[in-house]
Amino acid sequence: MKKLIILVFCLAFVSFAANAQKFITKTGHIKFYSEGSLEKIEAHNHQVNAGLDAASGDFVFKVLMKSFEFEKALMQEHFNENYVESDKFPNALFTGKVTNIKDVNIAKNGVYDAMVEGKLTLHGVTQNAKTKGSFEVKSDKITGSAKFSILLSDYNIKIPGAVANNISKSVEITVEVNLEKLK
Amino acid sequence: MKSWVKIILALLVIGLIGGLLVFHFLYNKPHPDFEKMDADYTLAAADLYKSFTTDKTTAGTKYNGKVIAIKGKLSKVETTDSLTVCVLVFNQGMFGDEGLRCTMLQKYAGHAGKLTAGQEISLKGYCTGFNDTDVILDKCSIVK
Repeated sequence: MKKLIILVFCLAFVSFAANAQKFITKTGHIKFYSEGSLEKIEAHNHQVNAGLDAASGDFVFKVLMKSFEFEKALMQEHFNENYVESDKFPNALFTGKVTNIKDVNIAKNGVYDAMVEGKLTLHGVTQNAKTKGSFEVKSDKITGSAKFSILLSDYNIKIPGAVANNISKSVEITVEVNLEKLK
Repeated sequence: MKSWVKIILALLVIGLIGGLLVFHFLYNKPHPDFEKMDADYTLAAADLYKSFTTDKTTAGTKYNGKVIAIKGKLSKVETTDSLTVCVLVFNQGMFGDEGLRCTMLQKYAGHAGKLTAGQEISLKGYCTGFNDTDVILDKCSIVK
């Protein structure tokens, strides 16, 4: 009986703690960059949703493709219409885990490595994705950053033949999220 | 040089310059000015949010990429380094507050900062979609 009571208390505590360890942002930043022989392409999205469960390591990103901003209006148009087809596929999604979340001590300020693994859905195609990033913990806030590359062909994004040689086939993605404790 | 050769040469040069100009203006064409554009739809903020939460595909097809004017009760104004966002909250979910997030044009950032929670506001912006928690309106201006 005593054990049971302790168990119940432990469970209650764990679920309470888990609840208190959600970190979110709705203004995360994703930049993508590619440099082809003719054109350098850069776009920013400052309205990225991200949520981290610091207990389980679950990590989610929700991105609206139409929120990417380019310097050139024409590029933005082509990006939306011909490349990611944002009318058909308005959202991109990453769901995964920080596999080494146990090594990240959210109670102690510092910079920690973050091994992130999961599934990225873009242009209606889902692929496994894996990268190493970092978490900077600073008084109840976590700044997550990562940089990785994807191949456009993996996501069935076609480059029109006329410009195929001028546009890079891989895109570098930089992610920065300032996660705050969910109240 | 024969005169018809001159004429053809002149035409070629004019065509080339014209082509370059067209390319230049197309390539550098400005971003749409959403503040000046007429709204494709005008509705209550709550109705816009509700149509996305009821059926996001149908609502997305209708509203994504369109200029939308909304009216509703402001819940809060959030500011980050680069953004000022008017937030209208209609629900609570796993990401906390859920509703309508209206990112203001830079020229309206100051004005938006002076708005108070609970106030009725009218905004117009470009709908980029619904990310399962919020409907996003971008490049918003305050409608008088």
